[in-house]
Amino acid sequence: MEKAEQKKIFESGNELAAYAAKQINYHVMGYYPITPSTQIAEFLDQMGADGEHDIAMIPAEGEHSAAGICYGASAGGGRVFNATSANGLLYALEQLPVQSGTRLPMVLNIACRTVSGPLSIKGDHSDIMYTLNTGWIILFAESPQEVYDCNICALKIAEKVRLPAIVAFDGFFTSHQKRNCVVFSDDEDVRKFIGSTVDYAGFFDLNNPVTIGSYMNEPDILNNKYQLHNAMEEAKHLIPEVFNEYESLCGRKLSTVKSYRADDADILMFILGSSYLTVKSAVDKLRESGKKVGVFTLGVLRPFPSEEIAEICSNAKTIIALDRQDSYGAGGGNMSLEIRAALQKHKITAKVITRVYGLGGKDFYEKDAIELFETCDSDNIPDFDYIGIYPGEENLSLKPYFKPVTKEDSVLNLTTIQEENGKLTVKGGRVRETAVMPKRLAPGHSACPGCGIPVNVNLLLRGIEGNVVLLFQTGCGMVVTTGYPKTAFKVPYIHNLFQNGAATLAGLSKMYHKKQERGELPEGDITFIMVSGDGGLDIGMGSALATALRGDPLIIFEYDNGGYMNTGYQLSYSTPMGAKSSTSHLGSKSYGKEFFNKDMPQIMAATGMPYVATAAESDPNDFIKKAAKAQYYAKNYGTAYIKCLSACPLNWGDKPSTERQVISAAVNSCYFPLYEVERGCTNITYDPEKSYKKIHVTEWLKMMGRTKHLCSEKYEDITDNIQQEIDRRWKRLKIKAETPEL
Amino acid sequence: MAQTDTFPKTQNNYSVKLPETNESGYYEMRLESIGGLGANLCGKLLGELGAVHLGLNASSFSSYGSEKRGSPVKSYIRWSEPQQEILLNSPIEKPHLLVLFHRLLSENLPVTAGVEENCTVIVNTNESPDETRDYLKLYAGTVCCIDATELASETKSRVNMVMLGAIAKASGFIPLDAVKQLVTDTLGKKYPALLQNNLDGIEIGYNKLVIKAFKPDGKHERVPYKEIKSKWGYKNAPSGGINTHFGSSVSNDLSASREGYIPLFIEEKCIHCGLCDSTCPDMVFQFIQSEVKGKKTVLNRGLDYHHCKGCLRCVEICPTEALVVGKESEHPHKKWFVRNKDLIADNIDFNVSGADPWITSESYLTEKHVDGGLM
Repeated sequence: MEKAEQKKIFESGNELAAYAAKQINYHVMGYYPITPSTQIAEFLDQMGADGEHDIAMIPAEGEHSAAGICYGASAGGGRVFNATSANGLLYALEQLPVQSGTRLPMVLNIACRTVSGPLSIKGDHSDIMYTLNTGWIILFAESPQEVYDCNICALKIAEKVRLPAIVAFDGFFTSHQKRNCVVFSDDEDVRKFIGSTVDYAGFFDLNNPVTIGSYMNEPDILNNKYQLHNAMEEAKHLIPEVFNEYESLCGRKLSTVKSYRADDADILMFILGSSYLTVKSAVDKLRESGKKVGVFTLGVLRPFPSEEIAEICSNAKTIIALDRQDSYGAGGGNMSLEIRAALQKHKITAKVITRVYGLGGKDFYEKDAIELFETCDSDNIPDFDYIGIYPGEENLSLKPYFKPVTKEDSVLNLTTIQEENGKLTVKGGRVRETAVMPKRLAPGHSACPGCGIPVNVNLLLRGIEGNVVLLFQTGCGMVVTTGYPKTAFKVPYIHNLFQNGAATLAGLSKMYHKKQERGELPEGDITFIMVSGDGGLDIGMGSALATALRGDPLIIFEYDNGGYMNTGYQLSYSTPMGAKSSTSHLGSKSYGKEFFNKDMPQIMAATGMPYVATAAESDPNDFIKKAAKAQYYAKNYGTAYIKCLSACPLNWGDKPSTERQVISAAVNSCYFPLYEVERGCTNITYDPEKSYKKIHVTEWLKMMGRTKHLCSEKYEDITDNIQQEIDRRWKRLKIKAETPEL
Repeated sequence: MAQTDTFPKTQNNYSVKLPETNESGYYEMRLESIGGLGANLCGKLLGELGAVHLGLNASSFSSYGSEKRGSPVKSYIRWSEPQQEILLNSPIEKPHLLVLFHRLLSENLPVTAGVEENCTVIVNTNESPDETRDYLKLYAGTVCCIDATELASETKSRVNMVMLGAIAKASGFIPLDAVKQLVTDTLGKKYPALLQNNLDGIEIGYNKLVIKAFKPDGKHERVPYKEIKSKWGYKNAPSGGINTHFGSSVSNDLSASREGYIPLFIEEKCIHCGLCDSTCPDMVFQFIQSEVKGKKTVLNRGLDYHHCKGCLRCVEICPTEALVVGKESEHPHKKWFVRNKDLIADNIDFNVSGADPWITSESYLTEKHVDGGLM
């Protein structure tokens, strides 16, 4: 094959995955942002906004749905792309065998990251190892360059053997590190190499209708899986052919197994991913002092290249298998276990020791490799261990900084509720008096200057006297308060991933009441509060709705900053229409986010829950009173829900100091109307029309960097559309307020 | 995407030879900053400068975490001669060039660890190299001072542009024209209106740098680079990551998050309305219950500045101008500084800005810097 023209660039693994996808020009990408893979969708969105590709990018509300979008799209016989990491991958995991079992090719990039919990966003291989049994082809790239190369080869392999393929690489080390790289100058060369799309299922051939996804009984499933096994066997032969063909096109060789100075090595180290390069450097240094050492790594995990591994290891006396992941209780991570099995199969008797290293992205230094090479020969070292751990300070005593905030300190009767004839009256609840309410959060959290989250959480908690238990779903609020080894909470607190917070708190509150019922806990009561961002109520909407439908006695509190801010501001379903975000770029082909903000309070109200309210820091007295009401309803009637608009100066692109004015403008424009739905009856608590403060939505939009582009004439159609939707929602609200039956 | 010429031509406008390299063959730089000052972008630009304009192999990466402003950020750049592959991904321990974007950074973070005699340290400060060396307690090395904050506002540029010019000068081998070309090709294409200001910033950084070399004269000790270890390890940490030390974030000192301004408290003007406390994200205000003329009331005792990030929400909201904005440099000793009223611990060992460093993606952030009016 003739060599194609190429050009040099300086980019990261994520950028190169996106660039390859753009060159391929996939039909559809279904995705959900998760660090560290998010940039792939972000870069593609940017290129799409600039008209560099026409891939349909679908932002799902969670990884499970993203995988579903991809499954459906691939059933339609086109090219499909996705990218994820860590718990996102695990959330989607159920869909992976569906994709492979029904034999629909696609490409999934995994920027590998440690799996929660405790939550961490840094890189290791604990996520990718869950995919070993899914029937997907798995390529592993050691460098940004290989991310690019693997992405191009993966699609070709996948389509040839009719299996989906994963391209995995180290999160951050490879996904974010920029390197000198080479890419094809002409997208057409990439497309020619891969060949034309093959529509195996022919789903849209309406004259020959097919059924995808039959129900199968016992012998059929076995036969079906044997077909899948055979496809993997076929891939084993095909992959080197594709790699060779690719080499003749660009001069770079991908391999199933790669090794460095391994031929005459007495000691061989195995390591996966970017650390392979680090060990190469260590090998060079040790070779200078005459030590016969070498290193090998895998470029393909499925199908597992056991023959090639055996060949490389055939002369080694000792093999140090390093795992950036542990199959707890198995005596090693999956890679070292599989290498041990490969050696046994090929009757190689080298001593193998396994070391788990670098979990949660702990850096792997050259000196770590050198030390392992130098010490692995001694007789008394264990064949399995962790490296890089430490015991902690001896006799560490931690002095308490505060008294815990319990009922005794927090029942000040500053905000009280009376129920008479089914009507609640709130007394007190004023900003001045409640300034002395003890804070359930300590200062010193690491939210950005001017962040609205602590402001809103504190306003809520001012109105809630007595014992409190808090659950934060994943998000900015959680990350900035609980950075280990510190925590900002002075009351019991628990985190769970954001598709499951409401369910978790339902279980927790049930346990409290059950233990009380059995006399295992003393009498008393606790107000259970879940705190979530708007992102958490995208992916966690099902869990929140189900909790409200069951009527579990708790408060769901949503701080809506209109985006996934913790991961760099990707659009959420609550992002204002037209707003720029890192997955809704402004460009020649895009004006920003293309659909309306989700009306979550109305969705919650539709569950028939006893109390729904919106609150804003611009009316702090109203906020505190609504908090007290929510507490009363959660204690006596069922689930309560409060949503507030929460400022994010970083991503709204405005000044930290003036955020309360921005919130106030959102309220006055009726983008964020203040109201309650109390036992089904709507009550507007602030009517900007009546106080002659109603403003056009552009008055609010122009205050923020993310939306001010909309205020130019060019986007008048868009702002008209937004204003109409706001007016429609506001009008409905007023009609509901006038009509108790609604 | 940053593009050079068509492969396999390897023509670069400014071919340079690295003046020195470490035992692995790399020339290494470490940038230390607070999120929001543009150090991460500066690091990426330096990587690109090496790879695209100077004909070198390059890698650039940052300390990573969630998105956030006001937290410590480290950015690393490795360069090698074109024939040598860069194999290491780990953080840079002994940089040839160490760049501090914020003077406050050095207060108790180990930002100057790994400084050897051959290291050049560039600091954003209005002090002299002698003062700076003593302030940083530097063992030895070349100290370069530049008042980048002031010069950036003078040129209507940004701190990172001035620092970029200073880095070129301090390195002794990076041509000023190459840096200007780089910025013209990258930022200039995206934001043409700001190009001239940025070029002015680079130029002034290059020209105004004050340089002085120091021998290891025993005045200050050598500080080797160490990995940070927490007090809790596998033997003493509660299982499951459970944290028993409630409210411990109070021992974080977040002063470094401030950008030069603080709220000043004029107590006589205060009507104790509580609005400041309702808008403060950082729980800085200390309100207590009290009695005035036999009547129960609440009083604002002052501010615990350890946790104030200088957002100035309180100044904006105060109805009586009891809170006004002031330059922090003019108020080193704040008389309204009161301790958090709920503390029961006698003394606290504060950690400067304890949060994780935070950079995961920038495609939106770079945009924001221009039209969001933040930086």
